[in-house]
Amino acid sequence: MADWILENPENVSEADIVVGIPSYNEADAIAFPTQQASLGLQEYFKGYRTVIVNCDNASTDNTKDAFFNAPCEVPRIYVSTPPGVKGKGNNFRNLFRLVTELGAQAVVVVDADLKSITPRWIKALGEPLLDDFGFVAPLYLRHKYDGTITNNIAYPLTRCLYGRRVRQPIGGDFGFSGELARFYLEHETWNDDVAQFGIDIWMTTLAMYFRKPITQAFLGRPKIHRPKDPAASLGPMFRQVVGTIFHLMEPFAPFWREVRRSRPTAIFGFGLGETEQPPPVNVNVDALYQKFRDGADRYDAAWKEALAPATYAKLAEVRQLEPAHFEFPIPLWAHVLYDMAVAHRDRVLPREDLLDSLAPLYFGRTLSFVRSTEGMALRQAEEYVEDQCLVFEDAKPYLVERWGA
Amino acid sequence: MARILIVDDEEHIRTLYTLELEDEGHEVCALESGRNIVEHVESFRPDVVILDIKMVDVSGLDVLQEIRNRFYDLPVILCSAYGSYKGDIKSVAADYYVVKSSDLTELKRKIEQALEARIPQD
Repeated sequence: MADWILENPENVSEADIVVGIPSYNEADAIAFPTQQASLGLQEYFKGYRTVIVNCDNASTDNTKDAFFNAPCEVPRIYVSTPPGVKGKGNNFRNLFRLVTELGAQAVVVVDADLKSITPRWIKALGEPLLDDFGFVAPLYLRHKYDGTITNNIAYPLTRCLYGRRVRQPIGGDFGFSGELARFYLEHETWNDDVAQFGIDIWMTTLAMYFRKPITQAFLGRPKIHRPKDPAASLGPMFRQVVGTIFHLMEPFAPFWREVRRSRPTAIFGFGLGETEQPPPVNVNVDALYQKFRDGADRYDAAWKEALAPATYAKLAEVRQLEPAHFEFPIPLWAHVLYDMAVAHRDRVLPREDLLDSLAPLYFGRTLSFVRSTEGMALRQAEEYVEDQCLVFEDAKPYLVERWGA
Repeated sequence: MARILIVDDEEHIRTLYTLELEDEGHEVCALESGRNIVEHVESFRPDVVILDIKMVDVSGLDVLQEIRNRFYDLPVILCSAYGSYKGDIKSVAADYYVVKSSDLTELKRKIEQALEARIPQD
């Protein structure tokens, strides 16, 4: 296990409830979630031994000082990977280890760049863990164009594979039991992608696969953080998230092959008052189209190698559509992802090349999603996402057949 | 074939659903109210529940919560004349949401899908 840098000024050696805040260069943002976590722990978890942990990647912008200087009445611990070791997953791994050492019963994790967190989020994410739940996923309103990897890949795939509807499987804000933290710490499916941005989907998938009692915490307020234009930012996160989903499909195939339809997941935290609408997210549709076109030129050979002939032929039709009529149908998208999962298992291309070749197809599908939902209110867009999931479920026999015994 | 519990305060809906679903070979129990739902589920032991939302004496969404609190794995299909409740966060706890129609094709499809949704055990 990698070394860590630990600063525990109050010599905390035991805790019942831990709030973890993973970070890398979040000096300008981390004070707010730290303060809100402190208020939440004080208000809703009186009588428990609590601590707030900043799990950092040796930030160079004084994140640590910002964390320790935040208004906070709860003991704090700073733990960091050694300088040069990056990755959100590595931060979580340190958290799992620390939580295990502290003997904590419940762990709540919130993003360091959150601007909309309230003390009630800590209650909603933590309280179910004091009952019988082992894993708590967030449920909040997001703008229809915020979370396009979630809407178009992570949610439909995990739902149809593992049969549980967890709407925000990579939401970033979670709760999990101390027992599950110890389980995560020792699980053999850990890899380099999980050590980075694959961590969220890895935790959610393992909780689903091992039938840990899962609930979704309705947080009332939208998730407001640094929004990203899906055309502008993708980077390694895409590879790590999708790569982790594909990676876990291999050992877990005997389970997901038997799952035919999905079931809803319990929701905790109704009655938080009026829900707020999320802020707008602007999307550059021209850039999405251009990235799809550029990818089609660059990755044609990879697509031909990775996709089934019928999928490749259908994709050829889509490539010929004029920009004004561009559409990437949902059934085709489901088949593309299923084919890519099989190609990933069979190593028909180097992993990174395969996942890089999927990115322009994702841009194409995102463009189609944006076009299809542009006139829709948030609720209608949600229904569209749900309908998309049903298409994935309907198409699942194709995946099962292609995957083989 | 399945045991189906219908909860709807409109008599003609209960009659229509009962006749059509019994024709398909299902065993049906129809209630006009969602009150005491826990007792009815315990006694009839349905495989799936078809639940109206806007009822005179009780909200179907509250009944859904009662069912979820007690029978977590029991499939529930919300069936309403109004599509607008689909936007209520509480409706997420249902397996499916169907807008009422005299054509039961969609409802029957959802019943089939709900019955298929078995999470494999070890």
